[in-house]
Amino acid sequence: MARYGMVIDLLRCIGCYSCVIACKQEHFLPSGIFWNRLVIGETGKYPVVAKQMYPVLCNHCKEAACVKVCPSGATTKREDGMVVIDYDKCVGCRYCVIACPYQQRTFYADGKREYFPGQGLTELELIGKELYPLQPGTVVKCNFCAERVDEGLKRGLKPGVDREATPACVNACPVKARYFGDLDDPRSEVSVLIKEKRGFQLHPEFGTEPSVYYITQ
Amino acid sequence: MKPYEWMVRYTAQSEWIERRGVLMWLAEVASGLGAGLYLISLFFNNLWGMLVGWLIVIALKGGFHLAYLGKPLRFWRIALKPGTSWMSRGFIFMVLFIGFGAIQMAFSYWLPGTGLEVTFKVLTGITVFLLAVYTGFVMNYVNGIPFWNSALLPLLFVLGGVLDGCGLIIAIGLFGGDVDIMAAEAVSRVLLVSTAVVIGIYLWSATYMGAAAKQSVVELVRGHIAPILWVGVVFFGIIVPVVISVSSYFTGEASSGLLLFGIACETIGAFSLKYCILKAGIYSPLISVNIY
Repeated sequence: MARYGMVIDLLRCIGCYSCVIACKQEHFLPSGIFWNRLVIGETGKYPVVAKQMYPVLCNHCKEAACVKVCPSGATTKREDGMVVIDYDKCVGCRYCVIACPYQQRTFYADGKREYFPGQGLTELELIGKELYPLQPGTVVKCNFCAERVDEGLKRGLKPGVDREATPACVNACPVKARYFGDLDDPRSEVSVLIKEKRGFQLHPEFGTEPSVYYITQ
Repeated sequence: MKPYEWMVRYTAQSEWIERRGVLMWLAEVASGLGAGLYLISLFFNNLWGMLVGWLIVIALKGGFHLAYLGKPLRFWRIALKPGTSWMSRGFIFMVLFIGFGAIQMAFSYWLPGTGLEVTFKVLTGITVFLLAVYTGFVMNYVNGIPFWNSALLPLLFVLGGVLDGCGLIIAIGLFGGDVDIMAAEAVSRVLLVSTAVVIGIYLWSATYMGAAAKQSVVELVRGHIAPILWVGVVFFGIIVPVVISVSSYFTGEASSGLLLFGIACETIGAFSLKYCILKAGIYSPLISVNIY
């Protein structure tokens, strides 16, 4: 069975926020909820400074702390390594929000929050509520576009190679800074990149073994 | 704060202390108070104390937790993952405690001294101890917040809970309950000193648990949480009760008013301690860059 992961090339990322917006569009994420984020910072001191873009998302950790602490069994790890939430089972205790060392989970509190306060929900927001019914009172996070991957696999497509089976953020990236694929396959693009360009994970010291790697070479 | 400043700086957890998170804080305090009172009441064999402790756990701890949940009607689902989740285990301990406690109090009232009463006292004692200790493990398990990731936290929560329970049992004694106040005061003295020492060691050891934990201690000792630590925990929670306790030790007996004042101060200390620990929970920065 595959274990899906992502590689993000920090040298290529230009901080255009395409991934952030593509994710919001794909999942009709309500106002104030982000599954993909972009951290822009700088290192060094004037005049020798370097700007850095760090796209961050759920790391779909192999040893996910959120899966272990979830008391209701709502957060589970699929065989393909994706950490997903069953909104029908989530009790909204927020233990997973606290336990995630990468702070990538959000409690979806207000289902009535509008993109344009006081003007009611837009047509697009209403469609989103039907197509992607997130439940207020539960915790939400990136799911590696599991529905796209599953649908693509059913059609015999290959995640990371065929666009229809690949996460929206990867497809949307205009500079091809994101790669998606099977970490367990040594010949996959992601495995090769990690090996050749010395991919690293965020905070490996937590022992969570994130499936999102970064490369800077 | 800029939108993602939290990812490049030390960020305090907010889910369990701010906005509705205040309910979690209150539930944690009620957990310590209720379980501690029940434990100490078992020690002094005081039925009123047991009843009050039991009610605190059901009504306050249970109520606050339920009110905090995003989907309160699904609360029963919390019991489904005891294999890996301390929250799940805690829920089961609480249910067992409520059940065993009710049966034990019934036996203590109608059939005192029987084998059944003793059996259920042991069972209730075990479950209430687990109830007192589990909140420490819930927090201790969180790797991302190094300040909480300490083995001393469960110990501190148990000691603090029993100390507060001791204060409440003295109050029950002052209001006519059958309590040996002198003995309770003696236990309280030992617990006060022990709790103060454990708080000190906990804070001191946290400074060696990495930069984020050290930052938590800095926030507590001289940051924006410092007034609550120094006034709430140290002054009201430790110094005032110690002074009252020591004076009553030398004078033989403290007045009821002074004891009640001391108990009120201890309770303020209990609220403050949990607040400080929850508020000082700080995550390590996600990436190490300067703010743009």
